[in-house]
Amino acid sequence: MSANRAASRIALDVQEVDSLYGELQVLRKASLRLHEGEVVALFGPNGHGKSTLLKAVAGIHPAVSGSIQYRGVEISGTTSEKIVEMGIAYIPEDRNLFTEMTVLENLRLGAFNRKARGRVAENLEYVFVLFPRLDERKDQIASTLSGGESRMLAIGRGLMSGASLLLIDEPSIGLSPITKKAVFGAIETIKQETDITVLIVEQEVDHALKLAERVYLLKKGRVVLEKEAAHISKAEIEKVYF
Amino acid sequence: MSGLISGSLYATMALGLTIIYGVIHLFNFGHGIVAVLGGYFTWLLLTNAHLGLIPSIFIALVIMFFLGLILFKAAISPLLKTPTWEFSTIIFLLGLGILLENLILQAFGPRVKQIPQFFEGGLKIGFLRVNWHEISLILIVFIFIVLLNYLLKKTWFGQAMRAVAQDMEGAKIVGINIDRTFRQAFALATAVTGFSGILLATKYYMTPHIGWLWMFTGFVIVVLGGLGSAMGAIYAAFMLGITEAFITLYLGSLWVWPIWFIMFVVILLLRPQGLAGGRTL
Repeated sequence: MSANRAASRIALDVQEVDSLYGELQVLRKASLRLHEGEVVALFGPNGHGKSTLLKAVAGIHPAVSGSIQYRGVEISGTTSEKIVEMGIAYIPEDRNLFTEMTVLENLRLGAFNRKARGRVAENLEYVFVLFPRLDERKDQIASTLSGGESRMLAIGRGLMSGASLLLIDEPSIGLSPITKKAVFGAIETIKQETDITVLIVEQEVDHALKLAERVYLLKKGRVVLEKEAAHISKAEIEKVYF
Repeated sequence: MSGLISGSLYATMALGLTIIYGVIHLFNFGHGIVAVLGGYFTWLLLTNAHLGLIPSIFIALVIMFFLGLILFKAAISPLLKTPTWEFSTIIFLLGLGILLENLILQAFGPRVKQIPQFFEGGLKIGFLRVNWHEISLILIVFIFIVLLNYLLKKTWFGQAMRAVAQDMEGAKIVGINIDRTFRQAFALATAVTGFSGILLATKYYMTPHIGWLWMFTGFVIVVLGGLGSAMGAIYAAFMLGITEAFITLYLGSLWVWPIWFIMFVVILLLRPQGLAGGRTL
């Protein structure tokens, strides 16, 4: 497995990225790397830049210095529209669903980018297989979904874009244990059945450790630890938090 | 009956405002003058270019659409990027409205103009006397609303506008170009507003100054219906149209605005978000 990883092409290459919120520096020379098809977890205390890092990759929040390359192409400074077209889907903690549209309409809009428009039907089918609950509720208005269902819809919508890289921000936060399991189960299925690369930000260390192949730890905007998931324990991770 | 007519005309006007507000969160104070412009372009094409009614209207609408695109790209888009955009756009559009009003005055003269009715004659049903033109207006508005609904719900363009209206961040996430959507929404709304101006001109009359009256009515409708909600605007428009008819019939036309005002205050007190408030496109 490790040999495969090393030989595997690099999908996402984040190098020494700085990012600010107003005058506050949130990312300090943050660097990380994902290989094609890998599932990587990003841990770290709240407010230390995890979401900002995802947003910078997605083109939603600017990186003021450093470089972000996806499949060899520099994407830092590119518009979010083009980044989605290149195959990167950002799934935010807030979900940002279209609250007055139905589940189906939300999913269809996920395929808005030019490359995905021709594949709506097949992507939709896959999303419904992955999340049967969404199929059941497909004509329901998005604001009436439960917390777990709206998370699933957010992930489904991201998949509709035909993404090859998913950036998932805290998918299990605020969910009941059963729902958490369902959500992680779906991500596990994506990992097993597709070549999609996944970068997942999580507080739920146990589940994420089982899912991920490698982990990064972000503290104060800086990557302080990188290890194979098999070689790190929850206790070790928690030590870095404090 | 006449309430239905005015209601439907007001609805068209209000929808133009709603699209702009819903998608861009912009109060278009130039709204009235845009409506008037639509009417004047049509009149110009009718009288000077001697085109038929339908081609004139069609061409006028196309011109309005492109003017909207240009206006947005040239002036509004840059303003939107400044931190005080809410304020500066209002002032800009207001100023533009006044400027255009005077330009029209210069170009066309102050006298009342009219765009001919679509049909002559009418019928009598019992005690009601109705003319074909008014019926055609209602039908036209009905068809228009159906078309707009189709546009919003079944085309990528329309869905993009709804998405931006409902969650701008979400729209970015699915790869929608916000700037382009704003521009298209503005252009669409300009054409819609121009259209409402043309319709209003066929029923009533048209001077360069009437834009403000139309615009106030439009704003009242939009706020009453719930800012940003198309359905709400339609309900409110009909409500105001029908009440206007009744009030004029029983109390006289001078009572219309005062009673509207009272209705407005009462409804907003009871339901501050407007009739269909909270909902967007």
